[in-house]
Amino acid sequence: MLARLRAFLGRPLAIEAIAILALLAVGEALSPGFASPRQIVNQLIIAALLGVVAAGQNLVILCGQEGIDLSVGGIISFGAFLGGNLMQQNDANLPLALASVLAATFLIGLMNGAGVTLLRIPPLVMTLGMLGVVNGLLVVLTRGWPSGRAAPLLVEIVQPLALGLPGIVFIWLAVGVLMALALRRTTFGLNVYAIGANEEAARLAGVPVRRTRMLAFALSGLFSGISGLLLLGYTGNVFVGAGDQYMLPSIIAVVIGGTSLAGGSGAYWGTMAGAVFLVVLQSILTTLNIPPFGRQIIYGVVLLALMLFYGRQRRLRG
Amino acid sequence: MHALAASKICKRFGGIVALDGAEFALDAGEVHALIGSNGCGKSTLCKIIAGAVGADAGELTVNGERVSFANPGAAAARGVEMFYQELSLIPAMTVAENIFLGREPTGRNGLVDRGRMDASAARLLAGFGDALGAGLQPQATIGDLSADQRQIVEILKVLARPSRIVVFDEATAALDRDQVAVVFDRIRALKAEGRSTIFISHRMDEVFAIADRITVMRNGATVTTARAADTSRDQLVMAMVGADQASATQPARHRPAAEEVLTVVDLSAGKLAHVSFALRRGEILGLGGLHGQGQSDLLRALYGVIPLRNGVIAIGGRRFQPKWPIAAMRRSMAYVSGDRAKNGVMAIRPIFENLVVSILARNRDHVVARGKLGALLQPVVERLKLKFSSLEAPVTELSGGNQQKVVLARLLATEPAILLLDDPTKGIDLGTKADLYAFMDDLCAQGVSILLHSSDDKELLAVSDRVLVFNAGRCVAELAGAERNELALYRAAYLTERGEAEHA
Amino acid sequence: MLSPFTKPATAVDAGGAGGWSASRSRRPYLLAAAVFFVLAAINAILQPTFLTFDVAASNLAAFLPLTLLAIGQTFVILGSDIDLSNGGIVSLVNVAVVEIIERFGDSAASYAIGIAAGLALGLAAGALNGVCVAYLRFQAIVTTFATSVIYVGLALWILPQAGGQVPPDFYNVYAGAVLGVPNVLLILVAAAALALVIARTRFYYALRATGGNMQAAFFTGVPVARVRLTAYVVSGFFAALCGLALVGETASGDPLIGGLMTLSSVTAVVLGGTSLAGCVGSVTGSVLGGFILGLINNVIFFAHVPFEWQGLIQGAIILAALSGGVAMARRGRN
Repeated sequence: MLARLRAFLGRPLAIEAIAILALLAVGEALSPGFASPRQIVNQLIIAALLGVVAAGQNLVILCGQEGIDLSVGGIISFGAFLGGNLMQQNDANLPLALASVLAATFLIGLMNGAGVTLLRIPPLVMTLGMLGVVNGLLVVLTRGWPSGRAAPLLVEIVQPLALGLPGIVFIWLAVGVLMALALRRTTFGLNVYAIGANEEAARLAGVPVRRTRMLAFALSGLFSGISGLLLLGYTGNVFVGAGDQYMLPSIIAVVIGGTSLAGGSGAYWGTMAGAVFLVVLQSILTTLNIPPFGRQIIYGVVLLALMLFYGRQRRLRG
Repeated sequence: MHALAASKICKRFGGIVALDGAEFALDAGEVHALIGSNGCGKSTLCKIIAGAVGADAGELTVNGERVSFANPGAAAARGVEMFYQELSLIPAMTVAENIFLGREPTGRNGLVDRGRMDASAARLLAGFGDALGAGLQPQATIGDLSADQRQIVEILKVLARPSRIVVFDEATAALDRDQVAVVFDRIRALKAEGRSTIFISHRMDEVFAIADRITVMRNGATVTTARAADTSRDQLVMAMVGADQASATQPARHRPAAEEVLTVVDLSAGKLAHVSFALRRGEILGLGGLHGQGQSDLLRALYGVIPLRNGVIAIGGRRFQPKWPIAAMRRSMAYVSGDRAKNGVMAIRPIFENLVVSILARNRDHVVARGKLGALLQPVVERLKLKFSSLEAPVTELSGGNQQKVVLARLLATEPAILLLDDPTKGIDLGTKADLYAFMDDLCAQGVSILLHSSDDKELLAVSDRVLVFNAGRCVAELAGAERNELALYRAAYLTERGEAEHA
Repeated sequence: MLSPFTKPATAVDAGGAGGWSASRSRRPYLLAAAVFFVLAAINAILQPTFLTFDVAASNLAAFLPLTLLAIGQTFVILGSDIDLSNGGIVSLVNVAVVEIIERFGDSAASYAIGIAAGLALGLAAGALNGVCVAYLRFQAIVTTFATSVIYVGLALWILPQAGGQVPPDFYNVYAGAVLGVPNVLLILVAAAALALVIARTRFYYALRATGGNMQAAFFTGVPVARVRLTAYVVSGFFAALCGLALVGETASGDPLIGGLMTLSSVTAVVLGGTSLAGCVGSVTGSVLGGFILGLINNVIFFAHVPFEWQGLIQGAIILAALSGGVAMARRGRN
């Protein structure tokens, strides 16, 4: 019976769409105005911030071998910090700031990738260690004070651009399209799926395993950097620890979006829906005045329940 | 009443039938050998007896009482212990720890007594005397030991447990003569105590030296059982292969050119030692012999999967250093593994991705041009008669045979001049096998050269132009022309007593 | 014909089962011991009072909680799993004990109930982890992440804000001494003794086998699922001890106290020479690893590293140490 249920849930996009609509209905019932266009847009903004991070996380998890990136929170904060300090509220600095942030966060991710593939440090350990280093570096650079100011053009991203949706949502959609193209149309994407599905088979088939995995981690850093810039635009300035709250939800969004933790299968569309779902869920919990502890417990229980369908490993007896 | 009896045992793994109504009866206090060619089901039958695998159908009785073992622990509780062919040792733990795993000796306080454990292990090891080899101490780590030493540890582990029935699955495969002698002494000691032994081995001489009765299996079923004293080697070989086919020599199939496309001199890697040969254009060179004598290692070493200890390899006259798969592919040499599930097929991916991955790697393409690739694959797919509902369907919807075709197609798309086939037809249905043979013939006609390892001896002989026979990592014979029949193959592989050739 | 692996003409004793890897796998903590002594020496140079009784006792009191946590984590990692919820269990037990003692007043009975409840919570939490990972076969990393979120949530429920007050009689047990011997030393010795006793049980051998080669252990009849469950329960127990120690150390409760301790416990275990892949390692190493982390903090402080640089230096050292620790343990395992 579990197998049949699982096959049904195996189309996460459909299920999630239904689930999101259901949540919106519940929210509206509990608190009229919950599903109003303005509120929905607000939630989409938050979902976009989460969704971009989750794109990088998605790549890393797809590569398999217990791939995970726990340093995303620190890299988000770092990206926001670097961007803000280079921009200093001046549009002229925008190109340099963007280029620098993208390069720097890509490099941090690349270091994660090098540790995992060349030194063969388990991703959990490597990225957790890197998180400590990045956060430590941020403390040195900011001395704990909020720092940097976003350029006015960047702040515009939360203003409505078209169809009532702000620029940030379009950026997220662009990321979505890019991910879809990358995963389906590029050799890199195909290789990511290959090494996640069966690393040994991929190696024998000639796939450059190490290079692919390193690039996945580097891109995770990059996406976190992008999310940091978006966060900067959203909040105007940044403080240490701004990105921490995105780490765990980024993993959850990937998992409930249908990407297997073992790697090798899953598409970013599902992750995007997962991000929206999580944000709406969080809003409902806030609306219901459920205190933080209640939200925590519900997150944990939901994740455990998901493991029942998505995260089981094989038996020992033949 | 038998000490153990198995009747009508059936087992499938996915689409592959491993056992098809197998029968086996073991008497108390006897040594009963179980033999058969590669893939006949003897290991699977024994794993079912030992509780490590569950049967799909059939009945197992111990001393007349029906039993069903949920796991090896349950079998052990009923007195059944097994030496696993793939060994059940923990590499990072010591010899003594492995031997006594699960039944470590404890002191009065209920805690493990290391001293007694090491001393008991030392006593067991002492039984082997000089035959042990340096470094086999109770405190040695398994990972540091050589293959024969590890086998000895596994044997001691099995013998150290209280049991009524002991199964040895290829327990002597890596042992030398002195070591085997000690093992046989132990088995005779078991017999004296009224305990029964099932002995699986490829080595006829050993089988006749130790067994009271011998059962032959073929294609998942039991063929015959006889007392060792009442039968002969040749009769058993006939039973293993099917008497009618035994001496049929296969007709020549291809016309290889004289040009050498691949030359290997003094290659040592993995299990292999000092192997030399040449592969000619348009020929199929078979790698035969007992399973696991280095044939796979040869192919994998050429492809750069396992490191080379020694040896010179030349492709088309130019020196080649195997480093990793893509290097071989760029020299037009491709490898296809027969272990589909483990390292062939990317199970959760669609057929298309399984097909294009190598050609993308070789060509250094960055973009997946579906149309162009689809057109490129079309001829290969047609030649292989690969049928599927759609390119986007998951590869697991295909049968085992078709999945193997996909793996083959993937490498063929890179248009290799040399094909390394590592048991490509293992566990595949007959229809697909026939397709693959015909396909290999086509390739040869076009000038592709093939190194073929197959665990199906009939097939190997039928398809190959020459067959190199391997034993213990060395090439012990080359069969060509009229010698390409099963009798000659088995004589060379099974009956050649390690260096002493037996002439028919 | 000899096997391809020819033996020498005479059986030579290779000096107690040869090889660097063999000695490393028997004593995986040797490197950690060396690092510990070096750090202690540096610490003594930077802080002249380091080797005095009072300072040593106070250092021990500060190092003890993480060390207890690391001991528990060792068992899970030896079985080739991981417990990312132990920090959450620490928080949960920490606040539960404080609340109970506040509720039941200042008496020996109240303390006893509090401690018993704390330990029971730890065992239960560990059991939940173990059932999910070993019997339901969930992936360990995300599962213990999920349970960690739940445990912290429960902690927040019990005590939303750090606070609470524990009577002096209770925390003096932690800070005090018996016959001149600091209680923290007694607690450490007791915990270490317990761990070392466990390390000589059949369970421990079964656990290492499970971590070393789960399939082989299964074939050998080792009750793999039960062993893994037990390891998680043990980890929960030591996490509870850690939570209790923190009550003694801080004399109050904090639902977020376990936050960074999870990563630190994994770091301590790896620093001690235990392989994350399982089987190779020891509790002794993890104790040394916990002390090493504490000493790093001290050294950074007494070297007058500017406050804002401390986090970065610590992070960099930990990352370097983790890389080194993983590389060493991999060689011990092969």
